[in-house]
Amino acid sequence: MKPIFSILYREYMIRVSFVTWFFFDMGLPLLYMLLFGFAFDKALPGGVHVDGIAMGYNEYFLAGVLAMSCFGSAINQSYGFFTDRDNGIFYEHLTYPMTRSQFLLGKILFQCCMSVVQCTLTLLAGVFLLHITMRWDLVWLVFFGVMLGTSGWFFFLALFAFRIRRNDTFNTFINVAYFVLMFVSSTFYPLERVPGPLRVLAYINPLTWHADALRYLTIGVGSGQTILVELACFVTFSLISFGFAVHALQDAA
Amino acid sequence: MAIPAIEVQDLVKVYKKRRKPSVRALNGVSFSVRQGEIFGLLGPNGAGKSTALKILTTLLQPTSGSAAVLGYDVTAQPLEVRRSICVVVQEDAVELYLTVRNNFISFGQFHGLSRIEIGRRTGRIIELFGLEEYMNQQPIDLSGGVRRRVQVAKMFLVDKPVVFLDEATTGMDTISKRATLNAIKEESKGGRTVILTTHMLEEAEELCTSLAILNHGNVIAEGNLDTVKATTVWPYYLWMTFEKVTRTVHDALKRIPSVKLEVKGRSVELTLKDQQMALKTVARMQKTGLLQHFEITGASLEDVFVELLDKQRGGRG
Repeated sequence: MKPIFSILYREYMIRVSFVTWFFFDMGLPLLYMLLFGFAFDKALPGGVHVDGIAMGYNEYFLAGVLAMSCFGSAINQSYGFFTDRDNGIFYEHLTYPMTRSQFLLGKILFQCCMSVVQCTLTLLAGVFLLHITMRWDLVWLVFFGVMLGTSGWFFFLALFAFRIRRNDTFNTFINVAYFVLMFVSSTFYPLERVPGPLRVLAYINPLTWHADALRYLTIGVGSGQTILVELACFVTFSLISFGFAVHALQDAA
Repeated sequence: MAIPAIEVQDLVKVYKKRRKPSVRALNGVSFSVRQGEIFGLLGPNGAGKSTALKILTTLLQPTSGSAAVLGYDVTAQPLEVRRSICVVVQEDAVELYLTVRNNFISFGQFHGLSRIEIGRRTGRIIELFGLEEYMNQQPIDLSGGVRRRVQVAKMFLVDKPVVFLDEATTGMDTISKRATLNAIKEESKGGRTVILTTHMLEEAEELCTSLAILNHGNVIAEGNLDTVKATTVWPYYLWMTFEKVTRTVHDALKRIPSVKLEVKGRSVELTLKDQQMALKTVARMQKTGLLQHFEITGASLEDVFVELLDKQRGGRG
């Protein structure tokens, strides 16, 4: 446990010392919800429709914010990997008395803790400030879903952080990935009226699977069966990413 | 018999790159380091030093052959190896966003030290490396030289029996460099084994009790400094000044089995194979009654290094 505790402490100290990072982990998704979500909710008085059910944009967007924060959190951690490798401390870490699994586990555990705290803040802000009606009976599954999402994206993005050597390439990759995955998904809008090819792409986007599952768990929208399939797909995506990430970590030196 | 600190046998590392020819960075390298030694792994750029170091510190897996640290195999027992070592990697590896103090705390915690112990040991290394004024600053705001000092200072916070230093003094000012070299010597006296790679050969000459010179993935010389020097053709220089270089002196000089003889006015420079020969030559020249001054020096590690590499280049060409 000691190495994992040391990683948690190190990550915590970095967040405390480097407030910008803390803002990206905690503040940005909340700002999305309270500025973008709130404004859109007012701009769309008729709300949005999913499977024939009408709902306010704030309600729809809640799961999107949670999925986005998991993705964003994983981006931050992968960016951390990249900068650590860029300045060399990454290699020093790999010579510390711990296994590679402990190294990855410590990183994931920390990011999952951050996501759970962020999720709690988002849910509280959604319920108390935006008056969203939540399914409280499944809230523990929401936390589980948030941890699963963070881990899946963490493995996926770590793979690129380990492989890409150049700063400009990595920044471009992150920006393009963020833009494409976020907007070609059900994070911001329902997919029913999205043009055909884009909709197909959105349905094979793991962010859609994750956002849909979280939407079902938070406000009960969606078919249980579809959600189970999407969840299975996301778990598969996470496991494949895990395999590749471990391989990439072993090759990273 | 004590277990060697490092035991490397027929180590091979081939980097396979997609759509590019494979690179054989290590080509059957073998060497051994006794506990408590300061061992220098030297060689030109691309010789395979960093690859060997990466394998020994469990950062890389060898393609074939074996390497062990204190008897622990780097491939089969990587965790045990990591528990026995601390490493200064070639890059400026510091926690950029943690204060220097927190850098030490974080490093100490990873290596299993308690906060009290870290606090106690930090005092000594702050003084040793002149880091007092930087303790509450983040390395991202500090110069490269100070970052390097922080990085190297961390090694002296823990008691790991084997220390790897990859170009540890690069970028340091003279005072810090001196402090580092002294600290390395002290640690070695205390029984720690130090493995260092450096391009600064005078540094290696001062510190190393034994060394290996690598070139193109092969060990081209290995042993203590004298052994390595003896493998070259010109380990000793003899300078002599005569009242005048007469024909008798000239003839006597020609009879000496020297590698190189150069006469410039009253000065004579000889390159000889061993110290004994140098002393005999001085004795012989004194008999002429014309010898005014003489000086014998051994070849520097740099001379040996350059000669060995030249020889390799000639052999390859």
